Amino acid sequence: METPTGPVPSRRAAPAVPVAGASSHALALLLADARLPVGGHTQSGGLEPALQRGLSPDGLPGYCRTRLATVARTEAATAVVTAYAARHGGDLDLVHAHWAARTPSDAQRSTAYELGRALLRLGRRVWPEDPLLAGWSLPTARPLVLGAVAAAAGLAAADLARVTGYDDVQTVLAAGLKLAPADPLQAVVWTRQLLPAVDALVDAVHGLTDPADIPSGSAPQIEEWAQAHARTTRRLFRA
Amino acid sequence: MPEPRQTLRLGVCGPVGTGKSSLIATLCRELGRSHALAVVTNDIYTDEDARFLRSAGVLDPERIVGVETGACPHTAIRDDVSANLAVVEDLEERFEPLDLVLVESGGDNLTATFSPALVDAQVFVLDVAGGGDVARKGGPGIERADLLVVNKTDLAPHVGVDLARMVADATAARGGRPVVALSRHDPDSVDRLAGWVLDRLEALRAGVLEPQDPGPMPAHTHHHTHTHDHDPAPQTSSAGAARA
Repeated sequence: METPTGPVPSRRAAPAVPVAGASSHALALLLADARLPVGGHTQSGGLEPALQRGLSPDGLPGYCRTRLATVARTEAATAVVTAYAARHGGDLDLVHAHWAARTPSDAQRSTAYELGRALLRLGRRVWPEDPLLAGWSLPTARPLVLGAVAAAAGLAAADLARVTGYDDVQTVLAAGLKLAPADPLQAVVWTRQLLPAVDALVDAVHGLTDPADIPSGSAPQIEEWAQAHARTTRRLFRA
Repeated sequence: MPEPRQTLRLGVCGPVGTGKSSLIATLCRELGRSHALAVVTNDIYTDEDARFLRSAGVLDPERIVGVETGACPHTAIRDDVSANLAVVEDLEERFEPLDLVLVESGGDNLTATFSPALVDAQVFVLDVAGGGDVARKGGPGIERADLLVVNKTDLAPHVGVDLARMVADATAARGGRPVVALSRHDPDSVDRLAGWVLDRLEALRAGVLEPQDPGPMPAHTHHHTHTHDHDPAPQTSSAGAARA
């Protein structure tokens, strides 16, 4: 009988071993990696319904800027406020309520819960010593889980905000290569052009600590597209 | 030692058009009365396969869920199984106790196989209409999936395939692992398929089913007479697998 050459990984987690502290910058790279197995490949950041309903492929950078100023800003701010609350014994239910009130589309909230669930699975495995992640009892809204992971990992607020904004841009532009095929290098050109807008988002939210200060600039058209997309039966991306 | 899970998670993969959905419908018909089943489909456009299965009337439509893969059917069953795992867990919780969750991959190509993080065992499906030489070409699924099905055997005379030869090639490629030559019009072959599935369920519950990873890359196989030296077989790693 031939021996398989591939590894035979077990479902059992390896025993926890002490890990030396890593820099916030290195942790940011880990969390911003598109290969992180948290379902990112199922997401288009609302781009699929946007293109179906008339957004021109040339409009991708503008679409990203709009998100960075609205829904992505709310998400990043929620993550930052959550990380602060996690470190200072704050009220995470209150943070969740503020996020939900600023996320009026139930389709977008459902997506956030699905993505946060996968991220929580990852967070518990990678930071098994963290009691907040281990005992998580809140809804798994992605920005809250991301904030809690940041607190567990030791990610600084600015890096957390930057990861959130950068991930939003990459989600949209990577999905764009599937939905409106173009030269993949063009997506990188656009990413570079958008980095200042990501930095502006970081400047705007990294110092927030009070849930009441989470920005609430919503994007009604993106929300309407998200609602419509959740009811279609033919789609490449979950959202 | 934790109790073994009671629900067998069974992956069904293989190239497009080989009859994965049909095989799942056959299993639902065969086992649906005696066992509690649910199905997860992975498709390029969401729910084509889910709709096929729902319309086949073989299972309560609520027990059939389609997962979006963002045009990455490979990734969704191997590099990042999180979306599938969430749906499997939800079905197991909602319809507890389930005996079997069938996870159908998006029909892709010869190299896509399931991560053992998602399924306990997997079936790789070929069909005679794809050509008699496919089994000989090998690949991770053909060689090392827990079961290889050579499907649509009733079509062999019509597509000029020597079925016995194809099954013999498949058996040789697999180093003793099982092969089922299947036609849904041949009750004996359906019995062999269903019997294998129930045997795996029994092994899971006995705590002796260790998920095997066929590996993302084709291994070097040894069907020819050796006239040259071999380097050691390369170690495969899912971390290095290309994304679909």
